[in-house]
Amino acid sequence: MKTITVTVNGAVYEETVSERMLLVDFLREQLALTGTHVGCTYEGVCGACTICLDGEAVKSCLMLAVQADGHSITTVEGLAGDKLTPLQQAFIENHGLQCGFCTSGILMNMSEFLEKNPNPSDDDIRHGLIGNLCRCTGYVHIVKAVRAAAAVGR
Amino acid sequence: MKKSPTKDSTKWFGARLPRKEDTRLVTGKGKYIADFVLPGMLHAVFVRSEVAHAHIRGIDTSEAEAMPGVVAVYTGESLKSQMKSMTQKVLIPNLPAQYPEYWALATGKVKYHGEPVALVVARDKYVAVDAAEAVAVDYEELPVITDAEVALKPGATVIHDDATSNEIFAMTFTGGDTIEAQNENDAEVDKIFREADVVVSERFKVHRTGVTPLEPRGALCDWSETDGLTAWITTQRPHIDRLALVDILDIPPEKVRVVTPRDMGGAFGIKAPFYRENVIIAHAARDLGRPVRWIESRYECQMNVGQERDQVNYMEIAASKDGELLAVRNRGIANVGVGLVGVYWGFVMPFLGAIELPNAYTWRKGDVKLHCAVTNKTSNTPSRAFGNYPTRFALERAIDMAARKIGMEPSEVRRKNLIPELPYTSVTNDFYDSGDFIKVWDNLMAQIDLAEFRKEQAAARKEGRYLGIGFACGVELSGVASELMVPMENQPGYGSATVRVEPRGALLIFCGDAPSGQGHETTTAQAAASVLGIDPGDVVTTTGDTGTTPFGSGSIGARYGAVGVSAVAKACEQIKAKMVRVLAHDMEIKAETKDFEFKNGEIVYLLDPSKRKAFKDVAERIIMSPINLPEGEDGGLETTAFFESDVPMICFNADCCILEVRPETSEWKIKRWVTSEDVGNVINPMVVDGQMHGAIVHGLSNAIFEEYVYDEQGQQLSADFENYKIATAADVPDFELTYASTPCPHTPLGTRGIGEGRPASVSGALTNALCDALEPFGVEITELPIRPDRLWKKVQEAKAG
Repeated sequence: MKTITVTVNGAVYEETVSERMLLVDFLREQLALTGTHVGCTYEGVCGACTICLDGEAVKSCLMLAVQADGHSITTVEGLAGDKLTPLQQAFIENHGLQCGFCTSGILMNMSEFLEKNPNPSDDDIRHGLIGNLCRCTGYVHIVKAVRAAAAVGR
Repeated sequence: MKKSPTKDSTKWFGARLPRKEDTRLVTGKGKYIADFVLPGMLHAVFVRSEVAHAHIRGIDTSEAEAMPGVVAVYTGESLKSQMKSMTQKVLIPNLPAQYPEYWALATGKVKYHGEPVALVVARDKYVAVDAAEAVAVDYEELPVITDAEVALKPGATVIHDDATSNEIFAMTFTGGDTIEAQNENDAEVDKIFREADVVVSERFKVHRTGVTPLEPRGALCDWSETDGLTAWITTQRPHIDRLALVDILDIPPEKVRVVTPRDMGGAFGIKAPFYRENVIIAHAARDLGRPVRWIESRYECQMNVGQERDQVNYMEIAASKDGELLAVRNRGIANVGVGLVGVYWGFVMPFLGAIELPNAYTWRKGDVKLHCAVTNKTSNTPSRAFGNYPTRFALERAIDMAARKIGMEPSEVRRKNLIPELPYTSVTNDFYDSGDFIKVWDNLMAQIDLAEFRKEQAAARKEGRYLGIGFACGVELSGVASELMVPMENQPGYGSATVRVEPRGALLIFCGDAPSGQGHETTTAQAAASVLGIDPGDVVTTTGDTGTTPFGSGSIGARYGAVGVSAVAKACEQIKAKMVRVLAHDMEIKAETKDFEFKNGEIVYLLDPSKRKAFKDVAERIIMSPINLPEGEDGGLETTAFFESDVPMICFNADCCILEVRPETSEWKIKRWVTSEDVGNVINPMVVDGQMHGAIVHGLSNAIFEEYVYDEQGQQLSADFENYKIATAADVPDFELTYASTPCPHTPLGTRGIGEGRPASVSGALTNALCDALEPFGVEITELPIRPDRLWKKVQEAKAG
């Protein structure tokens, strides 16, 4: 067991975890932040567990909780302040989600993507989404939502 | 109460209303099965067979049981005295087949790689995983069969000890009910083939593929000595799961409640069967007196469920030289895997695929036969485009091959043979209720300029560029009528809904089906709000809880838009009628329901609009002040309605794919994908578009990328997303969806159920476009998946002659 200090969505947590505990399990089970999902069971392929670590979108199933010691994390629960972000709003307005299981990870990935690519083409968006699998939407409305959020950002 | 963007209640139906589900889902506040936690909850992990076919000589659980934190280990033989087998009446279709007896865990033999052999229950998830690895199973391996045609050969090893052969099911779908009538029909078909100008005869093969919702399966079961079992299960049909748990675990029916979590991470068919895992988790909760949760891993999910298609079709079609399609003959051989899956038994999908084989065309005669073989693969489970995918591919390809022989445009052959007028009964006795296939087709053709395309294609070929255009269409189910559901799945086809008006005028709706992303909370609210003239923001829908909802067969077969919403509308009409009776009585007028308009939260007397009352005030009056009511009227404002259409219903779609193939590599790029759809009246266009996009990408992903691979020992080699590739955003195009709908005359709101069968026509349009592009080489695709390397080989073979 090891004690770690992690900032999650602005709050500082000092928690004791087993060395083998994955970061995604730490967030979901120890901090009860269940908006971060597990879809491929720790392969790093589906992207449903994507979070933001020190400003970088990462897959939380590919990290141990102990590796997050001293770092700052944003999860989907921490995206919105008083109101939804333009990206969250755009997902609602453009029907960018159906079952919603992949959505948390996509929002986290695309939040970072839009910061780095404020003016993306559809092709940029589609390639930016490669690390996130969605089975419901066929991606069309996801691309549309990201495009709409980018327009709001500009 | 949260209000919706526009106040005009006449605009709710058909509005692009943002979904009620979405705010919680984009903020991480959804609640999926893995998010449910109960005090004292234990974690369960299955030990699964490492081999495809073997006797179990022994299972040593001692090391696992001795591990700190392990609470219990269950194995198959020890359970036989604790419960009944999985082969219970509620899970068996009314179709003559060989139904093997099997138990919640493997007993005696294992029959596929991944079969559950033991269950470990521990206080901690990580400990449970370690302990499962410590369970040692001693196998005596048996010969493995993975090929359906091998399984059906005389003398083949019979996989199920209580079966007489590996043919679990076989049927003739044409000619009538007696052998004599069928033989007579077959003779007539033979005659048509002998005399036909053009015959196409081909072996079409579709690989093992299906669907993979992002959320695998799971169950959380809680037992109380007084209240019995509460089971949260990722299931599309909680009411059926409830009955199965009652029967198998022998629990009094009033003591079992099954709840599908409101948020389910996709299902697409795989969460429709009743699975053995649910039984053993419920048993463990009862046995241990503690809540037990099982969350399936991706690896387990891919090994056990989501596999379908896997069918060879020996298909022949006869046509005249002027392009009339005369007869279709098909021998389907379906590899249904081991077949051990409640409700479906692996073969119900190909059964429906055979019924729907004739598609939208006016065949004079058909001879359709199906043989379903058990093998040592996991059981087929339903996957969106239920049973239709292999037969649609074969038929739509065969029509293009016939058109090429005849020398006609494939689109022209299709249009010439489309059923001109509905209703219609197909050669397999499939009833098509309504719609206008010609209108849908002509709308598709209006989106493209075929003559111009042919010019462009010819010019491109001179430059060494290969453009192609391909077409396909699909008649799909809109709900599944009882007359098909009762024989096919031993379940009713009606939709059901309870509508409760509460005293402040809000609407609480309860539906027994369990959605998984289709937006039922939103479309239900839109439909109910439009009937009662209130705001959709004032409607709350509860789904999939057997404790509170009326019986429903589940979210399957595009039921919701067909019969689910119709039951909601029917219940709302009954509410409306009662409110009018009381209101007219209070106003001291003689009036009928049609004399009042329910609009913008008011109930207005049309003959004198000064006579009006707020919807919520009438609700409160009937519920809270049930005095001075009309004679014979009771207080309260709640009703349950069941809706069954008078006939089975359909929806229809047509696809056109335009692409370019690079001759050096046979890679292709889809340039346009255009569709034309008959979806009936639309409740929410955004939701319908979303269903279409998802379904088309599903069809493409199945055709190009996805493939469950087994080696000759029956080892499953593709049980993760690294090896079972599904389409990413960068792999697929945008789509041009167009609509040429006909309102369904058999539903109260003119709606059709859509989206379930929709992937079926996709592989036909894609492969027809590829073959059209490579027509100079004479390439005919007869097998899926189709990928650039396989296409390139076909081109080289064709070039070599």
